[in-house]
Amino acid sequence: MLRPAPRRTRRIGRGRQTAVAYALLAPSLVGVLGFLLAPVVIVLVLSLFDWKLLSTPEFIGLANYRKLFTDSDVWHSLLVTLYYVVICVPGTTILSLLLALLVDRKLRGMKYFRALLVIPWMATPVALGLVWSWIFDPGRGALNQFLGLFGIHGPAWLSSPVLAMPSVAAVHIWQFAGYNMLFFLAGLQNIPRSLREASSLDGASPVAHFFTITLPLLRPTMLFVLITNVIGSFQAFDTIFVMTEGGPGDSTEVTTYLIYDEAFKKFDFGYASTISVLLFAVVLVATISQFVYFERRTTYEVSG
Amino acid sequence: MRLRIVTYAVLVAGCLFAIFPYFLTLLTAFKGPGQLSETMPWEPGLPPSTAAFHRLFASGFGGYLVNTALVTAGITLGQVVFAILAAYAFARLSFPGRDALFWVYLSTLMVPPVVTMIPLYLMMQKLGLVDTWAGLMLPTMLGTPYAIFLLRQFFRGIPVDLEDAARIDGAGRFRTLVSIVLPLSKPILVTVTTLAVVANWNSFLWPLIITSSEDKRLLSVGIALFKGEIGVDYNAVMAGSLIALAPLLVLFVVFQRFIVRSVAVTGLK
Repeated sequence: MLRPAPRRTRRIGRGRQTAVAYALLAPSLVGVLGFLLAPVVIVLVLSLFDWKLLSTPEFIGLANYRKLFTDSDVWHSLLVTLYYVVICVPGTTILSLLLALLVDRKLRGMKYFRALLVIPWMATPVALGLVWSWIFDPGRGALNQFLGLFGIHGPAWLSSPVLAMPSVAAVHIWQFAGYNMLFFLAGLQNIPRSLREASSLDGASPVAHFFTITLPLLRPTMLFVLITNVIGSFQAFDTIFVMTEGGPGDSTEVTTYLIYDEAFKKFDFGYASTISVLLFAVVLVATISQFVYFERRTTYEVSG
Repeated sequence: MRLRIVTYAVLVAGCLFAIFPYFLTLLTAFKGPGQLSETMPWEPGLPPSTAAFHRLFASGFGGYLVNTALVTAGITLGQVVFAILAAYAFARLSFPGRDALFWVYLSTLMVPPVVTMIPLYLMMQKLGLVDTWAGLMLPTMLGTPYAIFLLRQFFRGIPVDLEDAARIDGAGRFRTLVSIVLPLSKPILVTVTTLAVVANWNSFLWPLIITSSEDKRLLSVGIALFKGEIGVDYNAVMAGSLIALAPLLVLFVVFQRFIVRSVAVTGLK
């Protein structure tokens, strides 16, 4: 220690460490900057251009945005998307929380039940959409055949403008309830045992215990589940693509579908970019407002 | 006691509901055309018929399956390896701009893939990569911010002393990473790999727009186009869906214990 260490084992200098770090980061830097951040900038720029297939891009300022604000197709698609989100997010969250409470108990074979409930999460959405189209098939499908056993004449689920969206959303809930259950389960198991048992000694009912103790303590998990589900369901595309193709009429034409249609069917890249910017803004606002809401609630309770 | 019976009853019902679409797929895939209309969807077709699979594979489905397996393996390998390198740099090295850069990585988690789809397509067009394997794989195979985040958190939890000991013995950064850090990181590596395999196997929108020739078609795109190409041939459609669903199901059964435990880890901050 008194003499300088031999060169090979000497502490690597700062410059060397920086070089090593950036060498390790190089591939992901290309990926993140080139294929995630640059596209965001490009989509913003593109939204100011008139660019259709084969034509030269022409700068038109905010003209695309003016068109956007009066385009009833866009607003309709946004409403349809919101409708989808409003069914999927509470449906998935409540169901997964209930399932988590159920599988949180120590019973024989519980790990197999947990595993079975998670399986739908892994299913290829496109395949799943086709499987559920078959289940929803008005004539031979399992659902209406099953209803038929009780003398009920089932409707044409996916070709009814009223029922198509709830049917498609039900598939989303079916797919993700078990997966989100795992997060709630982890959250429940993080609650200290003393808090789990305290109020049962006080004689509080299980329901009161749940709302006054368990639910507030699950807040971080709740935020995570809500945010990931909101972001996810705003982007729904695959199952809708195979189940309804946006129909019947435009009753399930979500904004992602409209963007796909404008960009890759009509090749109107400029306007499709403008709609993408709108969708991005909506997702950002939805995400940030959840953060703010949960932050405020938390600080309020700490100070109150 | 009664509560336990009720719990079990609800659980069994829930699990049946979770897996019955898989049963219907299995049953329908092995029915002959006549059996489809003669039996209820939840009854097996007897004797089982593999006619639907023959029709599928005659229409090039085997190629889609091979393509999907190779592309999934390639992208997953890239994502995991490059995420490990990046996560290690963020967790263990000090360099100017580290924290700012990490926040940049994290912030991209909020970018919906559908928003980047058009620019990515145009970039691939500029690079001459539309309808090529490179165009299909390049945008996602360089590491995902989420995987980098999960790995970084885990690496930071590993005591630095262990690495220092190896470094004093003359091991370089790369050797300590491979021989000390990675063996201790098996749980998170399983998590990250699982998430990547599921996402890549199931990926649909990007393959749909970036590839057009049939020799580069993936399973997800292949079965989505069925509806148009084969019409309402439910036997073939369900056989195709079964082929898409089965590999991940097998993966799940094998790694079930690992996966259920590790998925929950990803939700914690």
